[in-house]
Amino acid sequence: MKLLVCIKQVGDDGDMNRFDAHALEEALLLKKQLGDLILEPVSVDVMTVGPPGAEAIIKRAFGMGADKGYHIVIENSGYVSSFVTASLLAGVAEKSSYDLILTGIMSEDMMSGQTGPMLAKILGLPWATGVMKTSLDLTGHAMEIEREMENGFRDCLVIRLPALLTIQAGINTPRYPTLSNMLAADKKQIITHTTADLFPGPFQEKESCVGMESPEKTRLARVLEGSLSNKAEQLFAFLRKKDFI
Amino acid sequence: MKQILIIAEIFQGQMRQVTLELVAAARKIAAGLYEKENLSAIQMPRIHIIVPSGSPMPLALEISKQTGMDVIGVQIPGFKTYTSEIYISCLGQLIKKMNPSHILVAHTSQGRDFAPGLSLELNAAAIPGINQIRCDENGLIYSRPVFDNTKNMLVCPTPGSPVVLTLMPGAFKPNIQEERKPGQVEIQKIPFQTDSDNKVHIQHQQILKRPGENQALKTAKVIVAAGQGIGEKENLTLIFKFAESLSSSSVGVSRPLVDRGWIGYEHQVGITGAMVAPEIYIACGISGSSQHIAGMKDAKFVISINENPSAPIFLHSDLCIVEDVLEFIPAFLTLYSKSH
Ligand SMILES: Cc1cc2nc3c(=O)[nH]c(=O)nc-3n(C[C@H](O)[C@H](O)[C@H](O)COP(=O)(O)OP(=O)(O)OC[C@H]3O[C@@H](n4cnc5c(N)ncnc54)[C@H](O)[C@@H]3O)c2cc1C
Ligand SMILES: Nc1ncnc2c1ncn2[C@@H]1O[C@H](COP(=O)(O)O)[C@@H](O)[C@H]1O
Repeated sequence: MKLLVCIKQVGDDGDMNRFDAHALEEALLLKKQLGDLILEPVSVDVMTVGPPGAEAIIKRAFGMGADKGYHIVIENSGYVSSFVTASLLAGVAEKSSYDLILTGIMSEDMMSGQTGPMLAKILGLPWATGVMKTSLDLTGHAMEIEREMENGFRDCLVIRLPALLTIQAGINTPRYPTLSNMLAADKKQIITHTTADLFPGPFQEKESCVGMESPEKTRLARVLEGSLSNKAEQLFAFLRKKDFI
Repeated sequence: MKQILIIAEIFQGQMRQVTLELVAAARKIAAGLYEKENLSAIQMPRIHIIVPSGSPMPLALEISKQTGMDVIGVQIPGFKTYTSEIYISCLGQLIKKMNPSHILVAHTSQGRDFAPGLSLELNAAAIPGINQIRCDENGLIYSRPVFDNTKNMLVCPTPGSPVVLTLMPGAFKPNIQEERKPGQVEIQKIPFQTDSDNKVHIQHQQILKRPGENQALKTAKVIVAAGQGIGEKENLTLIFKFAESLSSSSVGVSRPLVDRGWIGYEHQVGITGAMVAPEIYIACGISGSSQHIAGMKDAKFVISINENPSAPIFLHSDLCIVEDVLEFIPAFLTLYSKSH
């Protein structure tokens, strides 16, 4: 049984997207459970689309216990749509016929929440988003899952494998890389692809980024001035005047 | 004639209020297209609300009355509850026939689940989580939060490409006219078509409600809310002490604190927690993600304490205190104990 987790490098520190760490943790937990259930070997691969430095998160994933890493190297530092990312991921993933693909619910930088469902759609797989609970069906051909909805509701589904799930934080607590895994990680090979291998020619984007702005304020945003104790006094006086003290 | 379609958000057989926000956004888009392309009145883009259901007639009628808009009920034989698979098959068939330029969906757990797949089914552009729509000489521009809500990205679909837009709940004000006639209602029967393998891949089981509705958060006049900025679970004690110093108060938190098991779900404020509207909301070490803001934007007065002067929460605050919460709250409590 083959599992794939899509991971993205985000932020100035180049960390693994927070939600992807939850997705990887869930895959590793499932691997453990499956290992006890079925005889066939279970593997967890990770795949990322990113600049040359994005290798760092694959190493981190090895440290957490991932088996194989794929890096689709992208030189373009401009806007890359979820559709193009999903197409690149699909180009490599389709060769391995994964039984289960996990992604994060969204990336902290692009915040689209689209890459997972688009990848599933391209590969012709069913998907479910915002997953907070997974349990394996004993047949091994389906999973019972709970999707998070608004106002404390959960949507309970049975999804047939192969499938893709996008994972919401709160499903688990991601483990830290272990020293022994990190040492072994150096020996593990990262399989790299270039975007040109997968897509000759320019990307066919259906939308473009035309600018960036700072968000506007929706309230007064008056800033309290003074020393720490002075500010505490001002707040104290304010709350007392309003009769809350 | 240009067509704009709104996919009504339906949950447990009822239309959710966010659908009215989609109507407001659709009107804005229609006006933008009209202005930009100088269409004559007769060519004003046509807006329809799409209502998928097993037997859509009653709901479709009600929505047409409530909004004054034209409604198409999509009658899906055997339909019980939403799944992405059913929606994409049935909406896909309808939308391909209608060939709209814009398809509007709510950026909710349901909309985020099917909109990306629908956009590929239609070979359309997809713009998620829109918080503003603008129109300038280049046409319609959509703004969406990125980089942990610290920036808005402005996005334009490629000219001529249809586009699936998901709109952030709360970002567009409903503007239903007081005096309106019900719109026209039409029913189209569209069966769910399974993929080539003839299998249903997603079987809906049930909808569960997570226990832990918190009356205290709903009735509190002051909510002291803690975020990841408090650093450790133990510092929640400080937050509780702060809250206890204020009358008629209660403690709220951002989601990561619940995810980590530091405190119960009943304290969570936000789109997947409680929607609150206290007199005063005091955000302590909360960055101000759109998902959190959605839960407390109706507070009368917002005070934020955050050590980062450019934290987005300050944009949504009346009073901003740039300090380390772990130093500020003890200083406040010292004043409090002196006065008592
Ligand atoms: C589908 C979905 C639904 C979600 N629903 C919700 C929801 O209902 N509610 C919710 O809250 N979130 C929700 N989230 C999560 C949301 O995206 C954010 O991750 C979350 O709100 C961030 O919480 P935070 O502000 O506490 O943490 P962070 O974003 O980490 O912010 C911590 C803040 O503390 C400040 N800080 C750090 N140290 C100090 C200090 N010593 N003193 C003062 N300030 C300090 C930092 O400057 C920073 O601004 C949801 C996410 C998704 C994808
Ligand atoms: N460049 C990428 N490489 C690998 N996975 C990605 C990439 N971008 C997005 N993803 C996956 O898709 C999820 C949603 O991202 P997004 O659609 O950008 O919000 C992330 O949590 C990742 O699991």
